[in-house]
Amino acid sequence: MAHALREKAAISGIGETAYTRGTTKSGLALQLEASLAAIADAGLNPRDIDGVVPYFPGGGIAEDFIANLGLPDLKLSAFVPMGGATCVAAVQTAAMAVATGVCKHVLISVGRTGYSGARVSTRLQQFPQFALAAEFEAPIGMFAPAQLYAQGARRHMELYGTTPRHFAEVAVVTRQHAILNGNVVMSKPLTVEEHHASRMIADPFRLFDCSLESDGGAAVIVSAADRARDLEKPLVTVMGVAAGHPDSPASIAQRPDILEFGLARAAPRAYAMAGVGPKDIDVAEIYDCFTFTVIKQLELLGFCGKGEGGPFIMGGRIALGGELPINTHGGLLSQGHVVGLNHIIELTRQLRRDAGKAQVEDAEVGLVTGYGDMGDGSVAILRRAA
Amino acid sequence: MSTAPAAAPAPERPLPIPTRESQPFWDGMRESRFMVQHCVACGKPRHYPRPVCPHCFSLESTFRAMPTGGAIHAWTVCHHPFNFFFKAAAPYVVALVDMDAGVRVNAPLRGVAEADLKIGGRVRLGFEPVTKDITLPFFVAE
Repeated sequence: MAHALREKAAISGIGETAYTRGTTKSGLALQLEASLAAIADAGLNPRDIDGVVPYFPGGGIAEDFIANLGLPDLKLSAFVPMGGATCVAAVQTAAMAVATGVCKHVLISVGRTGYSGARVSTRLQQFPQFALAAEFEAPIGMFAPAQLYAQGARRHMELYGTTPRHFAEVAVVTRQHAILNGNVVMSKPLTVEEHHASRMIADPFRLFDCSLESDGGAAVIVSAADRARDLEKPLVTVMGVAAGHPDSPASIAQRPDILEFGLARAAPRAYAMAGVGPKDIDVAEIYDCFTFTVIKQLELLGFCGKGEGGPFIMGGRIALGGELPINTHGGLLSQGHVVGLNHIIELTRQLRRDAGKAQVEDAEVGLVTGYGDMGDGSVAILRRAA
Repeated sequence: MSTAPAAAPAPERPLPIPTRESQPFWDGMRESRFMVQHCVACGKPRHYPRPVCPHCFSLESTFRAMPTGGAIHAWTVCHHPFNFFFKAAAPYVVALVDMDAGVRVNAPLRGVAEADLKIGGRVRLGFEPVTKDITLPFFVAE
């Protein structure tokens, strides 16, 4: 029997601001601007929104959405604090809300002044889920995700022979895709040599292995699939969605396998709900806080075996026209960092066949992941249903 | 005539704020002892300190001084100082170490060239007092 949540929810609206480095707008203003764009894209009125699952911590909360959008009867306000895994995990929460009839239209949104406002180095100590890292790791000089995730990348290199050339492939292909998109921070070509020559941040991560600190907002609307069918845009349904947490979720250092992410638990559940497997995926938007993170997630998603991610991505396989095009919008590495909500937006565009020069021909089924908070994971499988 | 801008205050070292759970660990560090929390009921070690044993759910625990040897599990070399306090130290190696005590410790590894770093490399925990209350860990080759 099909899972109770399978294809009960749809991504009915998508919206985003310009992705920039340098804005005078507040994070909340960016979040609301993107939210209004998503509501308009869905063909809805702001007052139709009856659920909100905003990115947290940081940004608007229920009170802000009621006050700014005049929401007459907000029925659900939830947070899913999973760092970079938040947005896709929020789709799970929203899908449950619309599938059960609790809500009709749930708004998921992010607004971020990652360049002009709070920077990555100051974020760690502010989050309750990072209290252990702040107590035990910041004092010895480990602050930023780039440093904390670097040890896992190094171990993968030592155990499986993964190389900087593999990392560069992710960065270069992602940049090629970004250049096809009109709304990106990084719009100039990147070569393997330029990647290798970029300054070292936390070995083995160089500058071009790291995602952008940028300003921008993004939003999606999740609606009950039967309601979304009446809206203007092609229907994109949620076939499967799941979230997962790793062992020792607050400290990578104490995790029995530092290369085991929450995605390892989420992926089989999402595939089972969707009734599809890796070979059915036409296009994938993979959370790319770091190049290596993409490689490892492809392993955990079953596109290749454990340790095989480096060789797997080579030879054009992950580029447009390849067997598994990924991050067709430019991702967090080259488009902008709105905590992966731009990945959900891009996958929806792909399945609407509205992705412009980056369109994957005949895209029917796609996958999007979230990764963050020291290893939480989330994955959604979407389908073009109309 | 120009006036030199006031010198920026020296960056402060980020320090741990011990909790009721972790205080015995930091007290041990101050005395150059590597104190690891153990479950009284099932005997298993756990780090970082927390109230409940995740194996048997016992609330009873004790801290024992443990051996300071271990083997490198992974490492990074920090070049970009995300906190200005570490600017002068960069680049610095931070090694994640499988301690013989059965838990992991992440700490700077001193005196080992980058080319000599390898998984399984033997190291020993050292103790560096940084304030009258706080002593931080570091590693050297065993």
